[in-house]
Amino acid sequence: MIIQGTHRTGDVRDRADVVVVGTGAGGATLAVYLAERGWDVVMLEKGGFFRAEDFTQREEDALADFNGRRGLDTTADNAIFLNYAEAVGGTTVHYWGDSFRTPPDRLQRWREKFGLEWMTEEELAPHFDAIEQELGIHIAEERLLNENNRLVRQGCEALGIEAHIPPTARVDCIGCGWTQFGCAYNRKTSQLITTIPRISKSGGRIYSDARVERILVENGRATGVEGVLVDRATKAPRGRFRVDADLVVLAGGALGTAELLLRNFDDPTVGRRFYINPHFWVFADFGREIDNVSGIPCAYVVHEWRLVRRTPSGEYAGGGYIMLTSHQSPGITATMLPETGAAHRERMRKYRHLGSLMSVIDEDHPGRVYLDGGVRKTEFRLQGIDVLKAVDYLKNASRIFLAAGAKEVWIPDVYGTVVRSEQDIQERITARSVQPNAQFCAGSHLLGTAPLGTDPRDSFAGPTGEAHRVKGLYVADGAAVPTSVSVDPSLTIMGVARWIAAGIHERHGRAGV
Amino acid sequence: MPHTTGSEAAAADRAPSPGGGQVSPGRGHASPDAGRAAPFPADHPALPPGIDRRGFLRTAAGGTAAIALASMIPAGCGADYPQATQDGVELQALSPKEYAVLRAAAEAILDNVPVPPARIARRIDRELALAGDPILTDMKTVLTLLEHMTLLGGRLRRFTALDAEDRVAYLHTWARSRFTLRRAVFQATRAFIYFFAYCDDATRPITGFTGPWRERVEIPAYPVDFGEVV
Repeated sequence: MIIQGTHRTGDVRDRADVVVVGTGAGGATLAVYLAERGWDVVMLEKGGFFRAEDFTQREEDALADFNGRRGLDTTADNAIFLNYAEAVGGTTVHYWGDSFRTPPDRLQRWREKFGLEWMTEEELAPHFDAIEQELGIHIAEERLLNENNRLVRQGCEALGIEAHIPPTARVDCIGCGWTQFGCAYNRKTSQLITTIPRISKSGGRIYSDARVERILVENGRATGVEGVLVDRATKAPRGRFRVDADLVVLAGGALGTAELLLRNFDDPTVGRRFYINPHFWVFADFGREIDNVSGIPCAYVVHEWRLVRRTPSGEYAGGGYIMLTSHQSPGITATMLPETGAAHRERMRKYRHLGSLMSVIDEDHPGRVYLDGGVRKTEFRLQGIDVLKAVDYLKNASRIFLAAGAKEVWIPDVYGTVVRSEQDIQERITARSVQPNAQFCAGSHLLGTAPLGTDPRDSFAGPTGEAHRVKGLYVADGAAVPTSVSVDPSLTIMGVARWIAAGIHERHGRAGV
Repeated sequence: MPHTTGSEAAAADRAPSPGGGQVSPGRGHASPDAGRAAPFPADHPALPPGIDRRGFLRTAAGGTAAIALASMIPAGCGADYPQATQDGVELQALSPKEYAVLRAAAEAILDNVPVPPARIARRIDRELALAGDPILTDMKTVLTLLEHMTLLGGRLRRFTALDAEDRVAYLHTWARSRFTLRRAVFQATRAFIYFFAYCDDATRPITGFTGPWRERVEIPAYPVDFGEVV
């Protein structure tokens, strides 16, 4: 059953074997596993419940309706937009559907650095297999590559660069191009239309518009949560709720989970590492109309530089990022393109001539999440080697577009940097383009704020997902993932959450604790 | 003609760092667990022009002072800033003064974009009311700084009192300022204005955007059974 808090008046009390805070990639994956094995599940979602008919494909509606802080959230210095969803289905409502298994090198790092011995390809494989089957994940069809994707492929092939069509979570996609504003046709296999209905039909209760404020703890054990049901539009309180449960699972995303933990516990491991995979954009003017609106927004991924390269003496020699083809709607494009006044308007006149690539920087230096006067804030500054990665990305993205035949490439910084040749790339693309607030930057792969690990001084939860200091309290979302994944983390989050769910079921059984 | 401070203009116009993007031996790749490195280490060859470690510290200190200053500046009254009244806008989040600054910025930024600046300012006011804090408070600070920091650019009049050409020039100096705070003010202002301007269907003749599919083609959604929904 789906219970919309925005339609309720008065207080609500419920009881379950497990209460899951958050309904996205982590929470819904875990919840459906347990619900279909006999567990009585309650899910709580801060955002609203939206269906296909609610998705207008208008960017201003989408950002306001189901993006966190109405799509206006930034780091404290305004330098980086933080892109995350608050809705039933979580970030899978607006994600692009790219579905990569966790790279083996990343699993190795987590084993070695955080003691997560179970994180092997073999251990995760059955979980990835199941999720891929349930979501219909497959390599995107050729017909869904728009011209921007094909031009990037052309450029990569000309330069001998490793790049691929990604695995994607959709069935019978019609290629409307508006995935990121919610699929209006129920073809993207988000949690909203896959696991959430199954949880509902398995007896689970999913409360939308339910903001959890307090984690209830008795004798060192989590016993439930309580909070406020809110009006969807104004966020004004409509009543209170309390859910008692044998287990509490936090899956509100790296920001939501960190905020809730910061409000409830004094634990220095929370919010200390905040990974975002900084996204910088590069635009290419092809001097003619190209289709970069339809198809899958990201139907081609450049993996060539995923790992950092070093010289024999250990110096940075490039890499540390992937590139995604990207299309953007007019409003978002307008905020990204440089200049003001007539110069900006002339750039917008070329909206239909533009190809674009965006970076996923695999950062070494995370930011942090903290409370300031009771308000959740974030801090992230590109620094050290991560600056070099960003500059290297701008250069290589420019090379790909020039090889694909672009007339010129725009680095959308405040300096209006334009490159037309390799010489321009060498001379004009520098670190000044990636200074804070020198160009539009975003982060949407939010991870690591309540990480798993064996050392309680460095991790919030142990390898099973259970908190070091509070029994019966689990973390199973992006917050639990120890570092950047270096690719879209959605499938990693789902795989880890399903593994945690399997462990819970194995240890506790249906009857709870 | 615009009046810019020498140092700002020089920083903005300086050629890109010749060493930008190059690498020094053994630098970077510190573990996140090894503590947070200082931004742009002082001897970093990829240092942006005009920015060194002390520069960042000054920026941070200057930012704090500027925000403190903004908080002490009077909000202004409706009589000083009649634009909202003139536009018939019932403000929900911004003061008359903040609305006037926002509208003035929209007038400067939206050169020949077929969306009235007042419509954008009204839309942003409504959005800020719904977004609440910390977005609202930050934006109020941004608008106050924009209005009163003209002195830093050598101008003796407030932002709203500048003519359109001078407003553009003023914004330009903020865009390319070596101070993070000033670039942040510029980016926040333009992001709001451009986003809501180009979401407006009136801009489609500029972009050639034909609108979302749902407005043009009727394609049924696959059915999904959510069970009971209340």
